[in-house]
Amino acid sequence: MRLIEGPVTPEIISGIISKGQQKTECGAHAIFLGQVRNDIVEGREVKAIDYSAYEEMVIMEADKISKTLLSEFDDVAWIEILHSKGEVPAGRISLMVFVSAGHRGQASKACARAVELIKEKLPIWKKEIFSDDSSRWRENE
Amino acid sequence: MEISVLFFGVLAEVAGTHRKHYSGVSSYADLRHRVEDEFPGISGYNFRIAVNNRLESDEPVLSDGDEVAYLPPFAGG
Repeated sequence: MRLIEGPVTPEIISGIISKGQQKTECGAHAIFLGQVRNDIVEGREVKAIDYSAYEEMVIMEADKISKTLLSEFDDVAWIEILHSKGEVPAGRISLMVFVSAGHRGQASKACARAVELIKEKLPIWKKEIFSDDSSRWRENE
Repeated sequence: MEISVLFFGVLAEVAGTHRKHYSGVSSYADLRHRVEDEFPGISGYNFRIAVNNRLESDEPVLSDGDEVAYLPPFAGG
């Protein structure tokens, strides 16, 4: 698990893919990318999200998520989670989940499960910044 | 007891600080009263408590040097 200052860039994502390729025993990598959406709220457009995190606890909880998934999915060999902290503009990536497994079935299922657990368990908060520079704290639905 | 209190998300904004130190804390209830007296706005929000990075569902027993975090509902992803 890594917390990245600002957006998770294509270069960072590419680096993780390269690392996954070194796992030659794996036949599948499932990738989830979460992107900041330019929602319109009462006529105001979201231009960015400002993420804050309880970093020590995020690292601990993400480690628990990885261990849980590795025990639930015996075909999964590697899980990497990257999440942004600080400001991420609309249209940029704020979350990457990368799961390597022997076969596609468990890779996809474990990746989807990881995203749900991340939203539920990681102490991360987001403040939507609107185009008029107003803001509001946003909870997950 | 010496206790560090951390505020996150909207609660850091309400408290106007991310971290506050309390001395002579006798119990979690004592700490909670002191925090809520100092930052009355906090009681209007939903939050959970973590002690030393672990979520607590019941009233925790504190030890000297503990870090108590006020956590609004999580919103990662």
